[in-house]
Amino acid sequence: MSFVIGAPCVDVMDKSCIEECPVDCIYEGSRMLYIHPTECIDCGACEPVCPVEAIRPMQRLAEEWKPFQEASRELFARVGSPGGSTKVTTLEDPHLVTEFEKED
Amino acid sequence: MTTHDVDVLIVGAGPVGLYGAYYAGFRGLTVAVVDALPTQGGQVSALYPEKNIFDIAGMPAVKGQDLVAGLVEQAAPFCPRYVLGEQAETLVRLGERWQVTTSGGTTLVASAVVITGGVGAVSPRPLPCAEQYLDRGLQYFVPRLDVLDGQDVVIVGGGDSALDWALASVERARTTTLVHRRQQFRAHAHSVKLLEQSTCRTLLDAQVTAAAGDDGLSCVEVTVKGDFGPVAVPCTLLVAALGFTMQIGPIADWGLQLQDRSILVDSAARTNLPGVFAAGDISTYDGKVKLIAVGFGEVATAVNNAAAHLQPEVGLAPGHSSDAAIAPSRAVSA
Repeated sequence: MSFVIGAPCVDVMDKSCIEECPVDCIYEGSRMLYIHPTECIDCGACEPVCPVEAIRPMQRLAEEWKPFQEASRELFARVGSPGGSTKVTTLEDPHLVTEFEKED
Repeated sequence: MTTHDVDVLIVGAGPVGLYGAYYAGFRGLTVAVVDALPTQGGQVSALYPEKNIFDIAGMPAVKGQDLVAGLVEQAAPFCPRYVLGEQAETLVRLGERWQVTTSGGTTLVASAVVITGGVGAVSPRPLPCAEQYLDRGLQYFVPRLDVLDGQDVVIVGGGDSALDWALASVERARTTTLVHRRQQFRAHAHSVKLLEQSTCRTLLDAQVTAAAGDDGLSCVEVTVKGDFGPVAVPCTLLVAALGFTMQIGPIADWGLQLQDRSILVDSAARTNLPGVFAAGDISTYDGKVKLIAVGFGEVATAVNNAAAHLQPEVGLAPGHSSDAAIAPSRAVSA
C-alpha cells in the first residue's frame, strides 16, 4: 500500500501534498518529492491536491510511474524510515531522477 | 481530578480499540478507552468517514463512519468508560497494576493495558497565526452547532467538515465566511452545490494570515492569492478545519520496545512490559500486515491474553459469543 509520485513532479515540487500529508511521509529530493512506501498510511489526502496530478495509488499505477516507484523504493532502502520528512534534510535523488529529461 | 479504576484500559478509540472494548466486556472485564480525539473512530473518523471500506470480513462494503458506529454499538452493552479528547501521557507501574494519566488530568488505573494507538494520536492541524486565540475564538471542532449562534464565523478548510460546518453556520451565525487555500473543494459535490446556493461568503485561493482582537477574537486578516493586500473579515469564531496530523507522541517514551516507531509484540500481543499489550497498526512483529481486519484479530488475542493474565484460573479461550448473554455482568456505573 501507498501512493507513488511520478514524472510530472520533476522540477515542479509544488509541495501542497506535503502540507496535506497527516503523517509527514512525503520527502523532498532536489528535483522531485517522494512518498515513503511504508510510512504512508494510504489515506489518499495527497492525491487530489497535486496541481500536476503526479500522485497515483500503487494499485492503479500507469506504466510511466513504475520506474519512479522502483527509484523511490531504492531511495528508501538506502534512507530507511526516518519517521517524518521534517526530521531529515533534502534527500539525494536516485539516478533515474538525476538523469531524467523532462519533456516540455 | 477524575480517577477511573478498571480491569482493562485501552489506549486508542479507533476500530481496533473499540473492538477490544467489546471483547473485554465479553470476557466480563471492566474497560475504559482513552483517545486524544473528542470522538470515537480514530483515523477512520478523522480521515475517511465517508469512504467505503471493502476488506472487513463479512461486510462487502461499509462506510468508515458506519463501521465505527457498529463497533461502538457492539461494545455498548458492556458500558465502556470513554475518556475522549484527552491524550494518554504517562504510563507508570503501580505494583502489579498500571496507571495512565491524560492531558485532561484524568487518572486511569488498570490491571492490564492494551495499546491500540494506530499511527499515534490524531490531532487537528494547527493554524499558527491564530493560536493565541485558542478557545477564545479559535476552535478546531464544532462540538455543538449552538456555538455558532449569532457569531461572525470564519471557517478555514475545504473538506467535508469545513463545508458541513459552513452550511450549518449559515443557518445560525450572523455572518459566515469560508476561506480555502485552493480553488477546488475536497468535499461531497452535493455539499459544494449547497454552499454555492447559500449566503456563505467564499474566499478561494486564500489563507487566514493574521488574527486580532483585544479580549477575544474580533477580526481576521485573509490574504487572497494575486490580490493587493489582505482583506479584513469580522470574526468572533474561527474554525480551523485543516485536517489532521498523527504522531506516536508520548507512547514512545513509555519504556516499550519499539521498532520503527511501532511496538514490538509476541504472538500473544504482549509487549516487553508485563500486563501491557499492543494491537493494530501500532504493533509490529515479523510478517505484520497493517489492516483493520488484522487488527481485529490482534486485539482479540491481546484482550484474551490480558484476561488470562488477570485471572489465570479462567484461561485464554473466551468461549463462543453465541452462547453468552450479551447483558453486561460487571457494568460500571458512571
